[in-house]
Amino acid sequence: MYRLSKLRFGLPVFLFLALFLDGSISQVFSVQMFRYPNAMVSHLVVLWLVCGVLFEADDGTFDLPLGRWAAVAGAVFDLYYTGIFGVAVFIFPLVVYVTRRLASWIRPNFLSGLLIYFIDITVVEGLGYLASRAMRLNSGAGSAFLVNTLGPTLAFNLAMFVILYFPIRWVYNWLK
Amino acid sequence: MQKFSLNRRLVIIIVCVIVSFALMTVSVTLRNKKSTPPLVQQFGNDIVGLVDRVVAIPTNGLSGSVSAVSELLNTYQENQQLKKQVSELAQTKVRDQTLAKENKQLKKEMKLNASLTDYTAVSAAVITRTPSSWQSQVIINKGAAAGVKKNMPVMSGSGLIGRVAEVNKTNSKVELITDNNDSANRFAVQITTKSGKTVNGVLSGYKATTGQITMDNITTKAKLAKGDKVVTSGLGGVTPKGLYVGTVAKATGSDYGLATKLYINPATDLSALNIVTVAVSKQ
Repeated sequence: MYRLSKLRFGLPVFLFLALFLDGSISQVFSVQMFRYPNAMVSHLVVLWLVCGVLFEADDGTFDLPLGRWAAVAGAVFDLYYTGIFGVAVFIFPLVVYVTRRLASWIRPNFLSGLLIYFIDITVVEGLGYLASRAMRLNSGAGSAFLVNTLGPTLAFNLAMFVILYFPIRWVYNWLK
Repeated sequence: MQKFSLNRRLVIIIVCVIVSFALMTVSVTLRNKKSTPPLVQQFGNDIVGLVDRVVAIPTNGLSGSVSAVSELLNTYQENQQLKKQVSELAQTKVRDQTLAKENKQLKKEMKLNASLTDYTAVSAAVITRTPSSWQSQVIINKGAAAGVKKNMPVMSGSGLIGRVAEVNKTNSKVELITDNNDSANRFAVQITTKSGKTVNGVLSGYKATTGQITMDNITTKAKLAKGDKVVTSGLGGVTPKGLYVGTVAKATGSDYGLATKLYINPATDLSALNIVTVAVSKQ
């Protein structure tokens, strides 16, 4: 079914759109989002991937190759945005895997999706923090990370989830 | 069967972690050592950068028009203030021109081709910003093709904002001085005090809570006052002399009490960057 649908092209196109929008949002709203010491990080690309898993389970006929595309998006993220390869390229597929496991236990709907997305963003930011600590890119303490980065980032991304959940569902249904 | 699959999953996880660390270490080392990234990465980044412009140019344009409207509201006040400044500026500019001309003649007489203060400015637009809280990095639309090289200083408005961290053919990454990476903000700077003494030093970090640049290990006896101007000294590498960094905000004893530690107010707003200038030194 996947081979015949518009999703075959639509999935990567919207994936990269989300990836580039992350950078553009960070640039345009940098005054508001990176007000030191606080940092809100936009993760629209994770939102697109997580929504893919949630809506894939809607009717059992679609089996999207989200893990592979997550790795591709992660590789582009690493090379283009950060210049340090080997972080997002593993974290993004892991998020897809975690979401699939969670979605198989909880029936995904708007509210449980919000909870799943909460866990996913925590995983992304937490592992990203550990990786950057290991590579000596930052020297912040764990408590500072929780307060200054994880908190605002979660707030921003959950708000984006609430705003974009139904539009993204519409896009997936249109592409199917 | 259950046990086997659990073991296998554990092995996969461990292998992934090891591979991830290996890749990260290799890319960090490459980034620090080599002047350009590997050809494949460079090529990929160029293509991604081109595609990104399709998304970035409309969004940046949109934000530009929104801020244009909001800036229109305080234009009157700003205009009055600027008029005052312009009349002072004309005098400075004329003097600057005369001095530059004199300098050029003197250099010619001394048979000096290029000194530490000479550089050409390459302006570039910011395409996008790294969506990450650990790396304060922006991506600009000029690369090796325009003469940009690794470690060159980047300015915006009147002040220094960072250095070029990675160069591709048509775009490059700029690490801002707000980044607390070990190598991000090591600029050699100097301060000329009110009594005419020159104090040399190196920028050492960024204090996020106050938004100030720090400068450590100053062992001079010269008295540093609030408002003294900090400029790059041009010592030790590709940074030209005389790029404005900021003004001294506070001078305190350092953590160990032996030397002086300075806090510097940066000259430009480091969070709103649209157009930047790369200082390409002539040497």
